[in-house]
Amino acid sequence: MKNKTQTLPLLFFLLFQFLFFNHVHSWKKEEFRTCHQTPFCKRARSRTSSTSTPLIATDVTISDGNLIAKLVAKSKQEETQQNTNPLLLSLSVYQNGVVRVTIDEDRSLNPPKSRFHVPDVVVSEFQSTKLWLQRVTQETLDGDDSPSSVVYVSDGFDAVLRHDPFEVFVRDKSNGNTRVVSMNSHGLFDFEQLKVKGEGDDWEESFRSHHDKRPYGPQSISFDVTFHGADFVYGIPEHATSLALKPTKGPGVEESEPYRLFNLDVFEYIHDSPFGLYGSVPFMLSHGKQRGSSGFFWLNAAEMQIDVLGSGWDAENGISKLPKNRVDTLWMSEAGVVDAFFFVGPTPKDVLKQYTSVTGMPAMPQLFSTAYHQCRWNYRDEEDVEHVDSKFDEFDIPYDVLWLDIEHTDGKKYFTWDNVLFPNPEEMQRKIAAKGRHMVTIVDPHIKRDNSFPLHKEATEKGYYVKDSNGNDYDGWCWPGSSSYLDMLSPEIRSWWGDKFSYQNYVGSTPSLYIWNDMNEPSVFNGPEVTMPRDALHIGGVEHREVHNAYGYYFHMATSEGLVKRGDGKDRPFVLSRALFAGTQRYGAIWTGDNTAEWDHLRVSVPMVLTLGLAGVSFSGADVGGFFGNPEPELLVRWYQLGAFYPFFRAHAHHDTKRREPWLFGERNTELIRDAIHVRYALLPYYYTLFREANTTGVPVMRPLWMEFPSEEATFSNDEAFMIGNSLLVQGIYTERAKQTSVYLPGKESWYDFRTGNVYKGGATHKLAVTEESIPVFMRAGTIITRKDRFRRSSTQMTNDPYTLVIALNSSQAAEGELYIDDGSSFNFLQGAYIHRRFIFKDGKLTSLDLAPASSGNARYPVNTVIERIILLGHASGSKNALVEPSNQKVDIELAPFWVQRKNSPAVMTIRKPNVRVTDDWTIKIL
Amino acid sequence: MMKLRMGTGVVVISTALLFLCLPFCSSSVPNDPFFGIAPQDEKYYKSSDVIRCNDGSGKFTRAQLNDDFCDCPDGTDEPGTSACPGGKFYCHNAGHVPTSLFSSRVNDGICDCCDGTDEYDGKVTCPNTCWEAGKVARDKLKKKIATYQDGVKLRKEEIEKAKSALDKDKVELLKLKKEESTLKEIVQQLKEHKEEIEKEEEKERLRKEKEEKEKKEAEEKANEEKSAATGEEAGHTNEAGKHSDAKDYAADETKYEQSDVGDSYDGATDSPSSEGSPLNEVEESVKGAEGEHAAKSETDLRVEEKKSSEEIINTGNDASENTEGLSKEELGQLVASRWTGQKGGKQSGEAEDAKKTEEQEDLTSESNNEEYEGYASETDDDRNRYDGEDETEDDFREDERDDVSSSYKPDADFEGEPDLSDVVTTDSPSWLTKIQRTVRKLFKAVNFFETPLNQTDAARVRKEYDELSSKLSKLQSRVSSLTQKLKHDFGPEGEFYSFYDRCFESKQNKYTYKVCPYDQASQEEGYSTTRLGRWDKFEDSYKVMAFSNGDRCWNGPDRSMKVRMRCGLKNEITDVDEPSRCEYVALLSTPALCKEEKLKELQHKLDSLNSQQPEKHDEL
Repeated sequence: MKNKTQTLPLLFFLLFQFLFFNHVHSWKKEEFRTCHQTPFCKRARSRTSSTSTPLIATDVTISDGNLIAKLVAKSKQEETQQNTNPLLLSLSVYQNGVVRVTIDEDRSLNPPKSRFHVPDVVVSEFQSTKLWLQRVTQETLDGDDSPSSVVYVSDGFDAVLRHDPFEVFVRDKSNGNTRVVSMNSHGLFDFEQLKVKGEGDDWEESFRSHHDKRPYGPQSISFDVTFHGADFVYGIPEHATSLALKPTKGPGVEESEPYRLFNLDVFEYIHDSPFGLYGSVPFMLSHGKQRGSSGFFWLNAAEMQIDVLGSGWDAENGISKLPKNRVDTLWMSEAGVVDAFFFVGPTPKDVLKQYTSVTGMPAMPQLFSTAYHQCRWNYRDEEDVEHVDSKFDEFDIPYDVLWLDIEHTDGKKYFTWDNVLFPNPEEMQRKIAAKGRHMVTIVDPHIKRDNSFPLHKEATEKGYYVKDSNGNDYDGWCWPGSSSYLDMLSPEIRSWWGDKFSYQNYVGSTPSLYIWNDMNEPSVFNGPEVTMPRDALHIGGVEHREVHNAYGYYFHMATSEGLVKRGDGKDRPFVLSRALFAGTQRYGAIWTGDNTAEWDHLRVSVPMVLTLGLAGVSFSGADVGGFFGNPEPELLVRWYQLGAFYPFFRAHAHHDTKRREPWLFGERNTELIRDAIHVRYALLPYYYTLFREANTTGVPVMRPLWMEFPSEEATFSNDEAFMIGNSLLVQGIYTERAKQTSVYLPGKESWYDFRTGNVYKGGATHKLAVTEESIPVFMRAGTIITRKDRFRRSSTQMTNDPYTLVIALNSSQAAEGELYIDDGSSFNFLQGAYIHRRFIFKDGKLTSLDLAPASSGNARYPVNTVIERIILLGHASGSKNALVEPSNQKVDIELAPFWVQRKNSPAVMTIRKPNVRVTDDWTIKIL
Repeated sequence: MMKLRMGTGVVVISTALLFLCLPFCSSSVPNDPFFGIAPQDEKYYKSSDVIRCNDGSGKFTRAQLNDDFCDCPDGTDEPGTSACPGGKFYCHNAGHVPTSLFSSRVNDGICDCCDGTDEYDGKVTCPNTCWEAGKVARDKLKKKIATYQDGVKLRKEEIEKAKSALDKDKVELLKLKKEESTLKEIVQQLKEHKEEIEKEEEKERLRKEKEEKEKKEAEEKANEEKSAATGEEAGHTNEAGKHSDAKDYAADETKYEQSDVGDSYDGATDSPSSEGSPLNEVEESVKGAEGEHAAKSETDLRVEEKKSSEEIINTGNDASENTEGLSKEELGQLVASRWTGQKGGKQSGEAEDAKKTEEQEDLTSESNNEEYEGYASETDDDRNRYDGEDETEDDFREDERDDVSSSYKPDADFEGEPDLSDVVTTDSPSWLTKIQRTVRKLFKAVNFFETPLNQTDAARVRKEYDELSSKLSKLQSRVSSLTQKLKHDFGPEGEFYSFYDRCFESKQNKYTYKVCPYDQASQEEGYSTTRLGRWDKFEDSYKVMAFSNGDRCWNGPDRSMKVRMRCGLKNEITDVDEPSRCEYVALLSTPALCKEEKLKELQHKLDSLNSQQPEKHDEL
C-alpha cells in the first residue's frame, strides 16, 4: 500500500512527462549500446601493444598471382595457450594503385564454420584489373632484424609485408620509401577465432531485454591503421558530425565514443555525434598538405567501431615521438574477416577513382531525379495529390516528382493501395505523367504477417524470411505491426523480389512510378537497438551480426534491379534508400534520414552529404526543411537555397508538421523558394554533366573544397562551404537573420558572385553582406558552365530548350568546361548515345570540341538544341560583335541580364543568339 | 474571326518553317511578331519601333520582339515565346475565355490554351477545344448565375431581417438596461430594509438569548435539586457527537493497519463504504497521498519532487525505459509511436485494423492472438489515460468557457426560467411598475419601528428581496449577454447575423463536424467530442470563418479550423478536410456570400463569352 501511494503520483507525473515532453528530448540514448556496453569494442579499445599477442608472418609465397603468408603468434607458447590456429593472409595488387589484403582462418584446419565474406560488393570488373604477382623481393627494413616481403604496386608504389612484427603497408618510392597507409604499425592486431561451445561456456550477451546467443563465441577483429603524411581523415559515413573527423581518443582529446558503423533507425538524431546512423561505409580517406590523399577500405558488414586517435597518441600510453603529420586510427569489428583495401592516391580524386574501381561507379541517374522532389508524410489521397500538383503550376514552380509515404498502402502492405484514398492510382499517375512528372511510392522491407497478403504467404511458403536464432521465421514489429523480413542476402530472393515490381505484379503501378526504400537498416521497433537481433539467421547459416550493415544495401540492390527488369533493361531505375553500405552508389540515391527543422541540422547536412560523396555515394541529400518540427519561414527558405545544391534535392516533412509546400509562407517567401528551385533547374545541365563525371570517375558531384584545392590548408576542415563540380563554390547560411558572413575563396584565381557577377579575389577570406535573396555562391574563374535559363513545369519539358554558357575568365582570359547530354532515362548512353563537349575559351575564341570517343558505339543522341546565350564574365574588351565559324555569321555582343528570370539582375557581357548547335564543332571569335 | 484565323495560320506556318530551317533554328519563332500579346496591349507594341520593357529595365527594337531571345527580364519583348521566364502568353481562346499563361508553357509539348496556340513548334498538335470547353464553362457559369440570382435575394432578405433584429436587440438592450437600473434601485432599497429588519432581529435575538439564559440559570438552579432524569435528554446531542468521533477514530485505525498510510485524509467520510473495495482503496490512497502532499511543508515538497524526477531518470525517461516489462509487441508499438506520435491514434487504428483482419483470419497461433490482445488493450488503456487527461483539461476549459460564455449562451438559461420569461415577455412597464407598486405597498405596510418585528412582514421583505435580486441577476446576465452578442462582427451588412446561435453540421464517414459560428467548431464521433476551435474571427474579407485554440493535438498544435464560405442557397457544410494535421478546413455554402457585385461580374463574364460564341460557332 505504501508503495502504491508513492508511485501513483509518480505515475501521473511520468504520464504527464510522456504526454508533453516526449517530443522535446527524444533521442533515446540509453536504448543504444555504447562502446563500453559492447564487449568486443570495450576489449579492443582497452588493448595496448603490450597486452596484445604479437604476430609474425611466415611461409611467404606467391600463389595464383597473390602473395600468401601465414600469421602465427610470435611465441609458440602463447599459441598453444590461446589455442589459436595460424591465420591465412593474402595480398593482391590491382591497377591504379589498389592493394587488397585478406586475413581469415585457415579453412583446412576445420574451423566451426566459415566466416562471412561480404558478397556482391566488389564489382566483377575489379577482378580483371588484378596484376598477377610474379615475384616477391625480400628486403630488410631499417632497424629490423628479419626481412620483409616487397611487391610492386605501380611505378611510384610498393606494397610491403613486414614479417616481424607483422605489418602491412604501402610505400611511396618517389618519396624516400615513406609509408603511405599502414596496418598494424602499432601491433594492435587481434583476431578472435570461432569456437565450438563447450560445457560451461557462457558467451551469451544481454542488452536491455534482448539476448544474443552468440553460438560461436567472441569473433571480433581489430587493428590499427595509420595514414602517413596526413593532416585529417574523412569518410566512414554515416554520422551527423563534422567533415574532418574529430579525434575520439588520445592526448588532449576529450574522449568520446568511437565512430560507430552500425545501421540504425535513430529517432530524432542529434546533430553532432559519432553515433551510428542509417548507413555504413567502412572507407576512410586521408588528406594532408604534404602528401595528398590516401584511402583505406575494410569490406566488412558487421558492427564496426572506429577510433580516430588524436595527434601524439601512441599504442602503449603516452606521448608519441612520431612525426606529427599522420593520423592513427583503430578499427574494430564484431565479426567477419579482414578484407582490406589500400588506396595510394595521391590526389583526393585519385582515391575516389581507386575506391570506386573496387565498389563500383555511381549509377547514371534518371535526369528527372536530379531535379526537385516534393514529398510529405503523407499526401493523403488522389485529391490531395492533384491539388499539390496543380498548385505548383499555379505558382509557376517547377517540380519533377511527387512522393507517397506509407499511408498510401492498404494497411502498410507494400505494393497495395488504400482503395478509399487511392481508388485510381494509374489514372492519378497518368495525370501527373502528362505534365512530364513522376511519382514515387514507398516499399519497405518489413512484410506484414497477414495470411491474406499474398506476398507474405508466398514468402512464408518459400522460406524466404530471415530466421530467428531458433530457425523460425523472425517476427518483428514495424509499421504494419507484426512483420517478417526477406532474406536479401540471397540472390534468388532478390530476384524474386525484383519481379514484384513488374507492372503485372505491382497492380496500380505505371512506367512513371519509381520506388523509395525506407526502414531498411532494417528498422525493427521491438528489436535490440531498434533493429534485428544479431543472432538471427540468413541463408547459409550466416548470422545477422555478420551481414547487418549490408542488409539495406542488398534490399536496395534487389529493388533497383527489379526496376531494371520492369523496364526491360531499357529504363534506368530510381530508388531512394535510407540504409547504405559500400557499393550503394551503384543502386540509387540516399538521403540522410529523419533530420529536424533546426538550423543545426541544416548546418550538419553539408558535412553529412559531403562525407557520403567521399564514400562514393554521390547522389545524396538531406530532407529540405527538416523532417521533424516546423521550420520558421526563414529557415525553410535558407534550406531551399542550400538544398537546391544538394545532389539529391527533396523536401520532406513528418505528418505532425504543418503543411509547408513552397507557396504557404506568403508572397515573398514563395518568390524566394521559387527562385531557389529555379537556380537548380537552370543548373540541371551542369549537374547532369557532373553526375556523368561521377559515373565515370567516382568523383562526387558535391565536393569538399580541398578536393579541388588539395594544397590549401585553410580548406581542410571547412565544411560550411562546398564545391559543386570544379566550378561553383556554395556557402550556406546557417543562422537566423544573418546580416553578413565570411567566405574563404581558395586558389589564386578570382571568383565571380554567381548572382551579380561581381569579382572577388581568390586566396582570401571575404566578409560579405548577406541578403535574403540567396546564399553566397561563386563561380571560379577559368571555368565554363552550362545553364538552361528557361524553366518549365518539370525537367522533362526542358529537353529541347536552348542553353546558356557562362564563361568565367581567369587572369589569362581563358576558361574551360564540359557538357554531357543524353536521353536522360535509358541505357543507350552505354552504347555511345550521348553528347560530350568540351568548351575552351582562350585567345578571344570559344571552341567546342567533341569529347565522345569516335569509336563509342554506333548510337548517337540526336538533338538540335542550340546555345542561345553566352555570358562572358571578366572579359577585358568592350567588343560589340563576334564571329561564328564555320557558318561565318556575325552575332551581337551586348550587356544583358545575368539571370533573365530575376528582376533587376545586373547586366553582363552577353553574346546574343549565337544559336550554334551543341552537337556541332564550332568556334566563336570575339571581334 | 480574324484572330482565330491568325492563330491557326501561325501553327501551320511555323510548323512548315520548322521543317524548312531545321539545321539552323531548333527553337522556333512565331511568324506573327505580335503573337501572344493581349488585344489591349497591342497598341503599346505597335506605337513605336523601339519599345520599352514594362519594368523600365531597358528597351528593344521591333525586330527583337518575339525573336526568341529574352531582352527584358519581365518578358515584355517575348510575349509569344518561352524565352523570358517572367513573361506571359495570351491565348485568345475564341469561344471560351481568353487566358494568360506563364511563358514557361509556350512550346513545352503540353496543350494549355483550348485554341492550341501555345504549341506552335510542331512537336505536338493541339486540337481547338474552345467551343466544347466554352460550352461547358458557359453552362456552369449559367448555373452559377442562377444560384447567385436566388442567393442575392436571400441575402437581401437576410440583411433586412438582420437589420430589424439588430435594431430590436439594441432597443431591447436599452430597455433592459433601464429596467436593470430601476430594479437595482428597488433591490437596493429592499436590501436596506432587509438589513434593517435583520438588525432588529439580531437585537431581538440577543435580548431573547439573554432572557433564555437568565431563565435557564434559574431553571438549572432549580434542577440541581431534582434528579438527572431530564438532564440526559439535554446532553443527547453531545453524546452523539462523541460517538461518531469514536467511530471515525476506529475507521482511521483500520486504515492505519491496512494501508500504512501516514495520515488518512478525509477518511471519515469514505471509510465505511470503502472498506473491502479495492477500487476505492486506490482512490483513497491517491487522496491520501494528495493529502500528504498538501500537508507537507514546502521544503519537503521540493525534496519529493526532486526525488520523483530522479526516479524518472532511473526508471526511464519515459515509458520506453520500462521495456523490460513490455512484451515484444508492446515494445514495437511503443517505438513506432515515436514516429507516428500517436499513442492511440492512427497507429492503433492501424492495429485495430490488423486485429480485425486477424479476427477474420482466425489466426492459428492462440498465444500470438493473446499477446496481440494484450497489446491492444494496453493501447486502449493508454488512450483512456490520455483521454482522461484530456477530459480534465476539458472540464477545466468547460468551466472557463462557461464563465466567459455566460455572455454567449445565457439566453437559454435565462429564458428557461419560467419567472424570467415572465419578466421578459410581460410588457416591461407593467411588470416593473407592478413590482414597484408591490414593494412600495410592502414598505408602507411594514412598520419598521414596531418591536418586536412583525414576523410576516419580515418574511415578506425577505422573500421579495430574494425574488427580486434573483430577477436582477438574471436581468443583468441577459444584459451582459446581449451586450456581448452585439459586440460581435456580423459582417459589413450584418449578413451573418443569422449565424448567431446556430450550428451547421456535416457527417463525413464516422465523424460529424459541427460548426457553430461565434462559438466553436467540433468533431463528434459517437459520444466523444473534440473541439476543433473556438470562434476567432472572419478572415479574407469575410470569406473565411476562423476557429482557433481548439483541443490540443498529441505532439502537435492546438486544433484549428477555417471555414471557407461560398455562395449557395442553403447554409450547408459541404466538405471537411484536414490538409495539415489538426488544421481543418471546411466549406460552407451560404446565401450570405451571394453578393450582388459578384453576380454582376459573372453576368458580365457570360455576356462576353456569349458575344464570342456565335462567331466561333459559325466558323466551325
